[in-house]
Amino acid sequence: MILIGILMTFLGFLLAVASVAMTASVGGRMVVVLIGLALSLAGIIGILNRAFLKNAIWRR
Amino acid sequence: MTSVKRSLLLLTMAALCVPLAWTQAPPAAPPAAKPAVVPLTDADLKNVETPKPELRAKGDPDGSLTGNVSDVTVADSKKGLTIADVANQIGQNKVAINFVWTLITGFLVMFMQAGFAIVETGLCRAKNANHTMMMNFMVYGAGMLAYWLIGFSIQMGGVGAVANLGGTSPLSAEYAFNLFGKPFGLFGEHGIFLTQGGTYDVGVMVLFLFQMVFMDTALTIVTGSAAERWKYAAFLVSSFIMGAFTYPLFANWAWGGGWLASLGTNFGLGKGYCDFAGSGVVHAVGGLTALAVSMIIGPRIGKYTRTGKSNAILGHDIVLVLTGCFILAFGWFGFNPGSTLGASSNGALRIGSIAVNTMLAGMAGGFGAMFYMWMRYGKPDASMSGNGLLAGLVAITAPSGFVNSVGATIIGLVAGVLVCLSVEFVDRKMKVDDPVGAISVHGTNGLWGVISVGLFADGKSNYGGSWNGVNGSVTGLFYGDASQLVAQLIGVATLIGFVFTFSFVVNFVINVLVGQRVNAKSELDGLDLPEMGQLGYPEFELKPGPVAVQ
Repeated sequence: MILIGILMTFLGFLLAVASVAMTASVGGRMVVVLIGLALSLAGIIGILNRAFLKNAIWRR
Repeated sequence: MTSVKRSLLLLTMAALCVPLAWTQAPPAAPPAAKPAVVPLTDADLKNVETPKPELRAKGDPDGSLTGNVSDVTVADSKKGLTIADVANQIGQNKVAINFVWTLITGFLVMFMQAGFAIVETGLCRAKNANHTMMMNFMVYGAGMLAYWLIGFSIQMGGVGAVANLGGTSPLSAEYAFNLFGKPFGLFGEHGIFLTQGGTYDVGVMVLFLFQMVFMDTALTIVTGSAAERWKYAAFLVSSFIMGAFTYPLFANWAWGGGWLASLGTNFGLGKGYCDFAGSGVVHAVGGLTALAVSMIIGPRIGKYTRTGKSNAILGHDIVLVLTGCFILAFGWFGFNPGSTLGASSNGALRIGSIAVNTMLAGMAGGFGAMFYMWMRYGKPDASMSGNGLLAGLVAITAPSGFVNSVGATIIGLVAGVLVCLSVEFVDRKMKVDDPVGAISVHGTNGLWGVISVGLFADGKSNYGGSWNGVNGSVTGLFYGDASQLVAQLIGVATLIGFVFTFSFVVNFVINVLVGQRVNAKSELDGLDLPEMGQLGYPEFELKPGPVAVQ
């Protein structure tokens, strides 16, 4: 899960960078960048953090 | 009103306005004669009078005699003073003003380390005072060594000429590769040990000092979020790598001529990624690394109950906390106005505006947090008011050079509320333990600061007619340029997607190799004795267990 979370976070960054080549329109680029941001945040908060919480010290 | 009355009123107003308009109208000027241009020659300089020696011998109590033509450096004493000497002196004076400005503001930023140290120590328990202070003390040295060794080279090795500092021409080698048909600058190549590539240069030294204290600010953010459970040896290794690679890489992309700064010239996105003094480069990098480290090492013992309910673990000295906040607010006058890298150049006189924006946003942040806590919990929480001040300062760091005072106050106010919401989210939803709120103050509000440039930049700043190689002033969405916001969001995506990932992987590997967390007994006893060998407060009677309240 940790690996998936970190890969997803990095993928969001790649998508945001690629937005400059996908379209020339400002609106189009903004949408792609926002999707990339959402992907990265989901990777950190939704997957990576949950993986750590599964074995958190306070659960033991 | 009848039509007669209305007509009388109009006539009266017209009668009043005619003489007013007449008094304000400029007198007709005669056609201006073109002034004759009389070139200044070396001979003219010979005629400039200097104060007589007998007059100077009496002293100069009002300062009217000190500093005159005899103080201008003469290149050839046989020729005497020439126009070239005067021109050279003017140029050197300009660079000297900028050197002194940049160095003094750098010294202010250096002093922020003391502010961070006592804020963090005050927010931790007394049994960890020595450990927390030592992390804040030695992060300065560990980061500086790493930065001198290679970090500065990666960040600034290809920045090119910094005109305000006299050129810095040795910093001319940037490694770039082609992507989407455009050059993407990745890292600089000159400046290792401040000698390689001809970088033994006075301008480079000034730039190094200023950038070094910025880098150290980013590093010291992590010591707060990982306090009270971070193994000291792991902290040293982690900080060294952050100073050598993590911070310099992103700083190169934003400030060193890298690909983020080139989003404007390469892809027409505003003026490229704009981060005047480092909401993203310094604070978000520090805050996101803090998040990565805090996730890896886990929460302190006693922070969460078995059901996952959060306990507040109280700090031991609110006096230290708020005093530290004041020191940081003082140091921020170096952080933001100093980022002009000069007081004598195009646009550098905005230092007044930048300083005012800084103080307004900090104050607004403090108010925002205080009122939020007062309304939500019934009391104006002191530590969160301090964090609100810092959040406002963090948020205004990127836009400070591009916004007006109204924009600055709004940015600060939003930051003050945002830091409270973020602390609650990180603490209760993510269950990531951050004893000082560093992730929210620096991470969340660093990102907000970067975004706010794309919203509030008013297009009135002018730093030599262009920014990041694009003509014109930085202008945000509210003033007509949506593409600037896209550039800022790409910066945010890079911080979250790349910087966090890089920091996470580095610290994960350190965790596997040497272990990031102290053992449970050391943590419960307090880290002062097991990690540092000495108590911070040897005459105090300390409580060994966690001091927590629901």
